[in-house]
Amino acid sequence: MPERIKHKPLDIDKVKPPKAEIHIITDQCKGCGYCIQFCPKQVLEESKEINARGVHPPKIVDESKCILCSFCTAVCPDFAIYTTEKKCAEGC
Amino acid sequence: METAKTTNLKATLERILDIEKLKYCFDCGICTASCSMAELLGKDYNPRRLLERIVLNPDSVLSSEELWLCAWCYRCYKRCPQALKVPEIFLLMRTISVERGNVQASEKALKKIVEKIPLPFITTLVGFHPERAGLDMKKVIEKMEELLREDSKRRKKKKTTGASGEKVAVIGSGPAGLTVASELSHKGFHVTVFELLPELGGMLRKCIPEYRLPRQILDKEIQLIKDLGVEIRTGVSVGKDLGFEDLWKDGFRAVFIGTGAHKSQKLKVEGAELKSVIHALDFLWSVHSDGKVEVGKNVVVIGGGNVAVDAARTALNLGAKDVTILYRRSREEMPANPWEVKEGEEAGVKIEFLVAPAKILGEGAVSAIECVRTQLGEPDDTGRRKAIPIEGSAFKRETDMVILAIGEAPDLEFLPKETELNEDGSLWVNPITMETSMQGIFAGGDAVTGPASVIEAICAGKHAAESIASYLRSRGG
Amino acid sequence: MTEKKEPESRKAAEEVRIGVYVCHCGLNIAGSVDCAEVAKFAATLPHVVLAKDNRYTCSDQGQDQIKKDIKENRLNRVVVASCSPRLHEPTFRKTCEEAGLNKYLFEMANIREQCSWVHLYDKKEATEKAKDLVKVAAAKAALLEPAEEAEVPITRKALVIGGGVAGIQAALDLADTGYNVYLVEKEPSIGGMMARIDKTFPTMDCSICILAPKMSDVGHHPNIELLTNSEVTEVKGYIGNFHVKVLKKPRYVTKDCSACGECVKVCPIVVPNEFDVGLAIRHGIYTPFAQAVPSTYIIDMNVCLNKDGVVVCDRCMKACERQAVRYEMTPETADLEVGTIIVATGADVFDPTALPNYGYGKYENVITSLEFERLINAGGPSGGHLLRPSDKQIPKRVAFVQCVGSRSDKSGKLYCSNVCCMNTIKDSLLIKEHWPETEIYVFYVDIRAYGKGFEDLYKRARKAGVIFIRGLPAEIVEDKKNRSLWLLGENSLQNELYKIKVDMAVLSIGLEPRKDSELIQRLLTLSRTQDGFFMEAHPKLRPVDAATGGIFFAGCAEAPKDIKDSVTQASAAAARAGILMAKGKVTVEAITPIFYPEKCKVCGLCVKVCPYNAITLNKDLKRIELIEAACGGCGTCAAECPFGALTQKHFTDEQIIAQVDAVTENSPEKKIVAFCCNWCSYAAADFAGVSRMQYPPNVRIIRTMCSGRVAPKFVERAFARGAATVLVAGCHLGDCHYINANYQMQKRVERLQKKMEQSGLNKERLQLLWASAAEGERFASKIREMKTIVESVTSKEIEASQKVFEKALTGV
Ligand SMILES: Cc1cc2nc3c(=O)[nH]c(=O)nc-3n(C[C@H](O)[C@H](O)[C@H](O)COP(=O)(O)OP(=O)(O)OC[C@H]3O[C@@H](n4cnc5c(N)ncnc54)[C@H](O)[C@@H]3O)c2cc1C
Ligand SMILES: Cc1cc2nc3c(=O)[nH]c(=O)nc-3n(C[C@H](O)[C@H](O)[C@H](O)COP(=O)(O)OP(=O)(O)OC[C@H]3O[C@@H](n4cnc5c(N)ncnc54)[C@H](O)[C@@H]3O)c2cc1C
Ligand code: SF4
Ligand code: SF4
Ligand code: SF4
Ligand code: SF4
Repeated sequence: MPERIKHKPLDIDKVKPPKAEIHIITDQCKGCGYCIQFCPKQVLEESKEINARGVHPPKIVDESKCILCSFCTAVCPDFAIYTTEKKCAEGC
Repeated sequence: METAKTTNLKATLERILDIEKLKYCFDCGICTASCSMAELLGKDYNPRRLLERIVLNPDSVLSSEELWLCAWCYRCYKRCPQALKVPEIFLLMRTISVERGNVQASEKALKKIVEKIPLPFITTLVGFHPERAGLDMKKVIEKMEELLREDSKRRKKKKTTGASGEKVAVIGSGPAGLTVASELSHKGFHVTVFELLPELGGMLRKCIPEYRLPRQILDKEIQLIKDLGVEIRTGVSVGKDLGFEDLWKDGFRAVFIGTGAHKSQKLKVEGAELKSVIHALDFLWSVHSDGKVEVGKNVVVIGGGNVAVDAARTALNLGAKDVTILYRRSREEMPANPWEVKEGEEAGVKIEFLVAPAKILGEGAVSAIECVRTQLGEPDDTGRRKAIPIEGSAFKRETDMVILAIGEAPDLEFLPKETELNEDGSLWVNPITMETSMQGIFAGGDAVTGPASVIEAICAGKHAAESIASYLRSRGG
Repeated sequence: MTEKKEPESRKAAEEVRIGVYVCHCGLNIAGSVDCAEVAKFAATLPHVVLAKDNRYTCSDQGQDQIKKDIKENRLNRVVVASCSPRLHEPTFRKTCEEAGLNKYLFEMANIREQCSWVHLYDKKEATEKAKDLVKVAAAKAALLEPAEEAEVPITRKALVIGGGVAGIQAALDLADTGYNVYLVEKEPSIGGMMARIDKTFPTMDCSICILAPKMSDVGHHPNIELLTNSEVTEVKGYIGNFHVKVLKKPRYVTKDCSACGECVKVCPIVVPNEFDVGLAIRHGIYTPFAQAVPSTYIIDMNVCLNKDGVVVCDRCMKACERQAVRYEMTPETADLEVGTIIVATGADVFDPTALPNYGYGKYENVITSLEFERLINAGGPSGGHLLRPSDKQIPKRVAFVQCVGSRSDKSGKLYCSNVCCMNTIKDSLLIKEHWPETEIYVFYVDIRAYGKGFEDLYKRARKAGVIFIRGLPAEIVEDKKNRSLWLLGENSLQNELYKIKVDMAVLSIGLEPRKDSELIQRLLTLSRTQDGFFMEAHPKLRPVDAATGGIFFAGCAEAPKDIKDSVTQASAAAARAGILMAKGKVTVEAITPIFYPEKCKVCGLCVKVCPYNAITLNKDLKRIELIEAACGGCGTCAAECPFGALTQKHFTDEQIIAQVDAVTENSPEKKIVAFCCNWCSYAAADFAGVSRMQYPPNVRIIRTMCSGRVAPKFVERAFARGAATVLVAGCHLGDCHYINANYQMQKRVERLQKKMEQSGLNKERLQLLWASAAEGERFASKIREMKTIVESVTSKEIEASQKVFEKALTGV
């Protein structure tokens, strides 16, 4: 079906993508950069900051893009990053 | 299409009907709906029906004044699903008509133009082009002057409808603005024209080559409008010298924006800032203002529109030895009017297709331009086929002057932020009322359509003037 | 393989007795050719023992006459001068066979399409030309030889490419007849366009409701193997024996899937669903629509988080109770052996972005008719509520704009797309049914309601109050305040401009050839008509056959058409394929090469040019081997062989040279000797005739199957005998019926032109033309153009060329 798609899906508002909260335990990070490299949605990037272990820990570029696959948690050798689903108060 | 000198009507017709596929017209009406003249003249002019008559009863068309009322804007051609070159088909019929010694038709048309079309002299020169069919332009102008004298007598008798004399501001004095000014003055409004340049006329003064529009005719036509009592304020840039909001404070009840399309598109290649790289509008403006331009010997013009062709011809007239237009698509895609292109080529302008500039070379001044060859790909989001550079096709071309004519756009910075624009950055108006999204502010001409033609600007002006009048009337004095 | 000794013995063996029949074809020929005079002339030709003219040679009486004469006058060659051999050669061949004469001893002179019809007003010249044409035919006839046709067995399996309604119907018909069918569909589900539309005109029944049962029949039929998400990548072989490779792209979900949909709920990826033209969303794992066949879900790996074997997300896998999700699946190739192929690849829709003045893509409330189908469909994104995209409100005023992308020389296609008028009428009624208050405007140029029940539907729409306005909008302008639209145009019946405001505008887009049809064309060596759809073997009498044997068309792949016609055609194609397979074998025309091994120097040139790899070089035995069954019959090997070791049956060197000699016997200095290929350029000349295009009478066409058969020596011979000009004409490059044999002809002609140039001859005298079967005008104008060249050639120049090519007169 090769038609060019020109309109926004009408039911786009109906899907509620999971809202993620990313937790980075900055000082536990050893700067390997796996999480940044493997994040499928490019949510993370290296920060300028220097942590206790003297390396640049990751920082969050756009949390809303996170789809909660938790792959960062899985690849982090030092358990310095994990994600939780945001429980939204206003029932969003 | 060539104009046949000696003509056997039937044979010639058969030929044009076939070449121009005229028989394929399926009466979709797109041409008429696109035609400014049809809008201005209502029942008196309908290109679609005229074409139909050429097929059905060509003899009757030869003596028809309608034949002379096409203003050569090519808008119909650009939209016709069958790509019929409507104005050129009419030209052929005009030529045959003239050769047959049929003068009445063209004279009747001139009468209609003088009576019904604002700025009749200008439009005749830059639009109707009776000379293309072999009429003597001097005689045409004389005839028109005579008709104008009769007409003004008639108008004097038919006194202006006494309106309340409310104040209307017209920003920009191109054909659109001038038309609004003259129409509203006739209706009894008090019009003030604000113009950024020292003289009135817009593109007509600034850019249209002198060989097409002698400036004394422009002056004469403008004088007629001044005589109506229009207030003129030149050298005023609305937005800079005079805040837009101040207009309301000054008691203007409605505003017309006819500021044209004067912002030149920038060429994003290395070397575009070198000396002797000049934008076409700037080039033409300096030719027509102080005349102090040095043209190169070996000029390259980049672009494919009417402006590119005019700039090229002007450069040639000023003594350039070789003038070449480089256009990145093919002849079919060229936005310039085919007839203008043909005339340009006859005057000695060379055109190279499927070539795009990559880099302008030189130290201080230009010495050469590096180009790549292109090929046409799939249509892009604007529906035009993309020009894709062919790898490894780069070549150099010596030149000492590069004129950029890659498009103009309206400059609308001075308007209130919330004014709605079209997707291409031009000003949006309600097509029925010509009102912008801001109450009391109307617009027309190139500012709304993007670069177009004089007749379209005039039509828009006339349309807007009527709408402004009824707007002011409805708000009641 | 046909290996031969030199045919020396033949002439002595039997006396050649030719009978010539000149047909009046009513007044079609007799109107501009003096047939009696032609017959009288024919009687004077060598070997002609009898020449007659009659009103309709193809009538029963005409045929009986021939049969009678064959028997009574011991005719052993028959020449009929009438219409194009493309029309009646099979008829007369049969007549001969019935009278016991081998059908290859028959020859035709085309004096209708290529003479009387194109020289309507010059009876004298036309008659002279007809005489010449008969002379040429008789010259060839004298050298004709009987031939037996080879039989090839047929694999009793069929391949259907494309699973739209046409492909589905064809597959079911064949499978029900008892043949095994492979149905290859490139999308994840079969169904095609019909699965996407809501109701169908003219009966207004629900499209998917009538299609879904057929789809599931396909899914369950024991004789059908369904290959979805798959594409044909290679086709080798020939009628009855095709070897096909199909690439099966992985679904990443196994057949164990029960279509419960649990996986979708957990997939975090959201993208527009192509099936709904992006008006609805889907997930990374999905099924395009509820009734999809197969119902197995599929993962779109372009958007899935798991790439290159790295499993980042395994939610769907975990959610799937049946453990059907397999991220590690890889593409597979299936090798199929089939005897027949049905092409049912459908059509694309026109992209109206090409018409900027209609604002599609810029204005949210301008939509296409296909998008409309999804919007009004209960299974679509809005649950069947017609909502305008900008504010999701039900529009009160709707406009339909017809012929968008159709019937245009500039923006779109030249042809009428056939379905959009009725589709709009259907759509307008659908709106009226649900929301009778809606104001509906249809802007059209002609309403084409030609089929059964169409006019009734049109009247129903008018009765329901749909307003039809003749005249297309020149422009659509959006009201920036409320996103409504103005349509500006001319009512060309009223001669009045209109400015009509609506809430939503539907562009009735046309159908166009598939963007990838070039690929299918190449794989199957098909041809396409000028408009880009696949070309049938004969537009009237073989409407579902491809020119290539064993291949058939169904549905929109051949031309835009509605569902009923697609289905009809599909059943016809299935029947045609079935006939072939029922027979179990086919005969191939005896136009394969004749090989004289004693002349062969094993240079291998023929091996290089054969488009079908039917000639191979056996290195061990140092000899050339011919696989007759694989031969397509183009004859380019015969043209290539420098030693005369190969020639083509029924188009032998001798025969063609005899034709050249006959053409150049009288006033060659005034003539154009034209070599035309059977499929395109000869057909173009026929088309010029059918269309009564007039052109100069000094051209004489010699027909070969392919332009690749035209050997340089034929051209040289013509010049050596004093011809003014020579034309070699073939199919457009890429359209050759023999894959690419016409490239060989191009090379040969260019070489000859170079030789002419080097010898100081005007190379313009040898011309090359590419003309498709539809390009009659192209052919005619070439002849007009060449006439001026003929006139400019001086007798000195003719002498010079005779000298340069002197050698061609000897050594045949
Ligand atoms: C080189 C060239 C050749 C052409 N040849 C032809 C031809 O042969 N035939 C034809 O029909 N058309 C031709 N055209 C097109 C035609 O000139 C324009 O379409 C027409 O002039 C548009 O009229 P307008 O009133 O909209 O704007 P313009 O004529 O562009 O006038 C706008 C005016 O507004 C003024 N202005 C802008 N901003 C402000 C501001 N903020 N405050 C005060 N004043 C302001 C400008 O200085 C200008 O004077 C040509 C155009 C060019 C460039
Ligand atoms: C908006 C719209 C509305 C319509 N409404 C009606 C109507 O109301 N009534 C009516 O009678 N007709 C209607 N039609 C026409 C109808 O859709 C067609 O007649 C019909 O769908 C044609 O069927 P088909 O099988 O030939 O092609 P398609 O339905 O296009 O199917 C072709 C199939 O082949 C597949 N395919 C393509 N290329 C390849 C390849 N290389 N390899 C493998 N598979 C391939 C495609 O994916 C597709 O599944 C409408 C058409 C449109 C566009
Ligand atoms: S736009 Fe073209 S096809 Fe349509 S009515 Fe005009 S000339 Fe005819
Ligand atoms: S060229 Fe312009 S003025 Fe002439 S008929 Fe066409 S649209 Fe009208
Ligand atoms: S893949 Fe599994 S979870 Fe998804 S629909 Fe199929 S059976 Fe259900
Ligand atoms: S079917 Fe109707 S709308 Fe479609 S192209 Fe033909 S005439 Fe135009």
